[in-house]
Amino acid sequence: MDPQQPEPVSYLCGDCGAENTLKTGDVIQCRECGYRILYKKRTRRIVQYEAR
Amino acid sequence: MEHGSLTDSSASTFSIMEEDHTLANSVRFVLNQDPRVAFCGYSIPHPADNKVNIRVQTTGDPAKDVMKDALQDLMVMGQHVRGTFDKAVADFKSKMPAEQMDVDVNQQ
Amino acid sequence: MENPGGSSLPAFLELQRTRVLCKADAPTHTEGFQYSGAFAAMGVDTSVSVEKFCSNFKIEINRLTEEDMEFDMIGVDASIANAFRRILISEVPTMAIEKVFMVDNTSVIADEVLSHRLGLIPLDADPRLFEYISDDVPNERNTIVYKLHVSCEKGSQRLTVKSGQLEWLPEGSQLTMASPAQSGDNQRTYTSFGQSQQNTSERPLGVKYKDITIARLGPGQAIELEAHAVKGVGKVHAKWSPVATAWYRMLPEVVLLKEIKDGDAEELVKKCPVNVFDIEDLGNGKKRAVVAKPRACTLCRECVRPTDDQVELRRVRDHFIFTIESTGALPPEVLFTEAVKILEEKCERVISELS
Repeated sequence: MDPQQPEPVSYLCGDCGAENTLKTGDVIQCRECGYRILYKKRTRRIVQYEAR
Repeated sequence: MEHGSLTDSSASTFSIMEEDHTLANSVRFVLNQDPRVAFCGYSIPHPADNKVNIRVQTTGDPAKDVMKDALQDLMVMGQHVRGTFDKAVADFKSKMPAEQMDVDVNQQ
Repeated sequence: MENPGGSSLPAFLELQRTRVLCKADAPTHTEGFQYSGAFAAMGVDTSVSVEKFCSNFKIEINRLTEEDMEFDMIGVDASIANAFRRILISEVPTMAIEKVFMVDNTSVIADEVLSHRLGLIPLDADPRLFEYISDDVPNERNTIVYKLHVSCEKGSQRLTVKSGQLEWLPEGSQLTMASPAQSGDNQRTYTSFGQSQQNTSERPLGVKYKDITIARLGPGQAIELEAHAVKGVGKVHAKWSPVATAWYRMLPEVVLLKEIKDGDAEELVKKCPVNVFDIEDLGNGKKRAVVAKPRACTLCRECVRPTDDQVELRRVRDHFIFTIESTGALPPEVLFTEAVKILEEKCERVISELS
């Protein structure tokens, strides 16, 4: 990964559920409602499980 | 794998990998029906190992031959069971119209 | 196991040999006589040669439906009957979901729990059309691929995901492996199918029951995954067991030791919770107890309490009432013949190892 361009990461607001994209240094706050608790979105990277 | 003695072929222990009570108990039953068998029994030395030891002692015949005959007999019995079963199923299907197939004789 | 031709045993020994007696406190004569020459000194041969077995062995079918069957297996030792039962439960192969590729799962049910649930879903696929997977290379001969892609719209009602929503992918996996960009024209998927599975069987390789609840989704939640089913046996994991259960019981035999009349007869009929006994009207107000349905007997021993001097409960040692409940991949009668074949294969394997 390129350290020069930090990849923006998607978060979901803990209050209103809106999607927020944050980069390093951004204020951790929802753009829609101002709520300060954000949750990281689940990855869409494939995870393999054994059905046992 | 067979564990026996070089001089006396009438007694042997057969170590069978990847088998359990399913085969060992059936074979022990068949062996016990053979008049040439003086003693037979089986053990599973450790429950975590997939292995059984079957002990066969005969009245004189080579234990290996007696063991093979028992397995052969068990196979023939299996074939007979299958034949009888298939015939019974075919008879049942031809006799029973579809709507009567739910009859339970235990509840009659 | 009769003894035609030869001299016979005294009645009490014959009873001990062929029946298990269920007394009020405990059953007796449970072990039987293992050794064929046990009565040789009396000139009685009780051995079971193959010829004798073949002439005595009988099968009577009582019930046969698509998912279960019951039959009587007569003239066979418990060790053989038990071998069939054990093989049915743990060694007859079926297909079941083994690998789950989770792309998205925002439902409340955890990934591994969801995977476990998927594994237990009975599939409508004949295992005889498939091979066991080897070297971990999934192809059209050893793997069935299913896709599940469901989502619950925001602002809508909660959604129940059912097994019928698993979609069969006869062309194999649609997920591409995350690989370096230079890998070229064709992105590799999780399976390497040489051809479509469309014509593998007459029916589509779907699930057996479409109404099994897999998960529930709240508004805004989604599940996206791919599931790969492979062939396996029940001793590795119970999800591969082809039977819900397979069991047998020995035929109950209920014997009245003396004539039970009038009030005693009424009392006996009332005692039995499964109505084994019935009243026979002898005319002019006299009644007598008779054994009407011995097969219904569960051997609760209520009728031999507190005294066992009027009724005797027995079990016939070589008569098994065998029941098979299939989970759907194969009909019960096919499962039984497959089980017997597996026992034969075991014998064959050991014979060839000894030769």
